[in-house]
Amino acid sequence: MGDAAEGGRVTPFSKTPDGNLVVGFSAVESDIVADLAAQIAGMLAPLASSSVDADPLYDLVGIGGRSTIDPDPAIARLLPDAYGDDSEAARDFRALTERSLASRKVANARVVIASLEREGSALELSPAEVQAWLRTLSDIRLTIAARLGIQSDGDEGATDSDSAVALHDLYDWLAFVTESLLDALED
Amino acid sequence: MTKTASSTELREQTVLDSPWVTLVWNDPVNLMSYVSYVFRSYFGFSREEADRRMLQVHNDGRAVVATGSREEMERHVEAMHDFGLWATLQKADA
Repeated sequence: MGDAAEGGRVTPFSKTPDGNLVVGFSAVESDIVADLAAQIAGMLAPLASSSVDADPLYDLVGIGGRSTIDPDPAIARLLPDAYGDDSEAARDFRALTERSLASRKVANARVVIASLEREGSALELSPAEVQAWLRTLSDIRLTIAARLGIQSDGDEGATDSDSAVALHDLYDWLAFVTESLLDALED
Repeated sequence: MTKTASSTELREQTVLDSPWVTLVWNDPVNLMSYVSYVFRSYFGFSREEADRRMLQVHNDGRAVVATGSREEMERHVEAMHDFGLWATLQKADA
């Protein structure tokens, strides 16, 4: 598991009397989070909609999915097998549930984007939006970790290029944002 | 034609079926504070219990977070996947 290191690299969220969480993100910070959330939505959207070979009955009720785990390690981590020791059960379960799981992740990412598009100097999140934020932040960090090749505790991942180093900084900053949301929630 | 199982058969099956468990597996990404929060907010664990299971995941690589019917465990696993946690279900005796 990860642990957010010490640091004051993010303006912390605080709780309003009506239970919303508020933070003063800079325009750059808002753009970064909105862009990353859009990338998650874009990556999973094709899996959240019905495909041409979808079972028409499943399609009708909005369920369905493919039968095998995705070859992209990031997507495989976001939509993992539900049965670790039974590949047939994992296949059957995925065929029923993958699309709805992907849809919920896309919906969460869109909630994050919409909250950042609201007018106003401060970002104020309702309790429901906070839930979407926490889940999307996890999805974003899991995706970055997959791209950096972080596979087990203590892994540094790729650091051999400027873009990898920048991705590391982003990954750490997003951990501070998550930590700050959790701290404010407990207040 | 489908044979309807008698109520006795159904009852026996329920009693004899071993329960299923939901396992959460360690990953290097999710924060310890987040995993503990998920355990508290979703399963309703106390802070102590949530921290204990979170540390079990962290130190042992996995922890059982729920036990019950297969359908219930499937719901829990889906909910954990919503949170970005790596979870699976299996028979309790497996």
